[in-house]
Amino acid sequence: MKISKGISLFGLAAVVLMMTIAAKCSTKPENSSNARWSVQVDRVDPGDVDLEPSFRIAIYESLLDELNKTKRFKQVFRDGDRSASEVSDLLILKTTVQKYTAGSETRRAVTTISGATKLTVGSQLVTRDGQVILERNFDGNVRFMGNNLRATHNLAHNVAKTIKQSRLQVLSQPAPAQSGEGSASSKRT
Amino acid sequence: MNHTTTPWYRTADGHSLIRRSAIALLVVMFWWAILTHAQDVSQANNSNKSFSARTTHLLGFEGSLNNANGTLSIQGDSLQFQKDGKPAVQVPIASVENVSLGQQDKQVGGKAMTLGKAAAPFGGGRAVSLFAHKKYDTVALEYVDANGALHGALFQLNKGQGEALKNDLVAKGARVSKSDESGKQSKAEVSNENK
Repeated sequence: MKISKGISLFGLAAVVLMMTIAAKCSTKPENSSNARWSVQVDRVDPGDVDLEPSFRIAIYESLLDELNKTKRFKQVFRDGDRSASEVSDLLILKTTVQKYTAGSETRRAVTTISGATKLTVGSQLVTRDGQVILERNFDGNVRFMGNNLRATHNLAHNVAKTIKQSRLQVLSQPAPAQSGEGSASSKRT
Repeated sequence: MNHTTTPWYRTADGHSLIRRSAIALLVVMFWWAILTHAQDVSQANNSNKSFSARTTHLLGFEGSLNNANGTLSIQGDSLQFQKDGKPAVQVPIASVENVSLGQQDKQVGGKAMTLGKAAAPFGGGRAVSLFAHKKYDTVALEYVDANGALHGALFQLNKGQGEALKNDLVAKGARVSKSDESGKQSKAEVSNENK
């Protein structure tokens, strides 16, 4: 009995060790292959949505913050930054708001089920010459706890997380500016 | 047994209570007038002064911590935010490309209140939530740095202070984007039509 118990423990430890090594190996190439890129975050386009200016600014600033945290890019530039023009491998992150439902912190606190703040944006990561690297819709919601602006932080976190996990390879030839419903489907590397 | 009856409006030593009350009332009214006048004068002086108010910096103002409390003021041609005991951070007002106002409804009491509400029995916390909130003005600024890079900053002010800040900034050269203005106008038109 003791011998079989020892073997099973040893087996379990071996499996855990192998899984850990496999996880490390799978993340390594992603980090090393994209270190050449820098990114410039464009100002957020509110589209046809009646979005409060504070949300537009909060999305922009949160994106900069979260992209810096990923350490996937050599540099993260702001919109209009003149020093970005000297960088050769530059990606541009374009963000267009697609849906926004204004919530209420008080209503959330009182009812729990209503008052959620919901935000959906379409994001495109393109090269200077317009080649699409990543195109996807992202959500940022606040359903229970936290203030309304937290939706922008959650949204930026989702964008940065996806960019961090993607391989950042060219998806398509120069594409026109984000085209309505068709581009809403998620193309992801 | 020699009783002398004194009327209710006179004291034992013969002074009139009515006269004393009238004098006291006059003194009170005099002080009231002085205080009111002083208040008016100070308000008039304040309207001539540049904007300065306690605010919460929500995010984006370069060099300031998020959710930091401090004083936001206009110093000459610069907008300055100073957290208590820390050096001030300044941005030239001419570099402000857009100022817009908003309103936020926020819970008061912080984490202690949140925990208290969660611990309250029979859903009492929800009832407290109905009253434990306050309306704030939010001021959203877009400005560019020396390198041309766009920055966005958000400040939370007490209700009514946002408009004053915006007016002062515009008077000193800050710009307001046309889309924001036209958006406001169209909203006003819609609300008027609904009326």
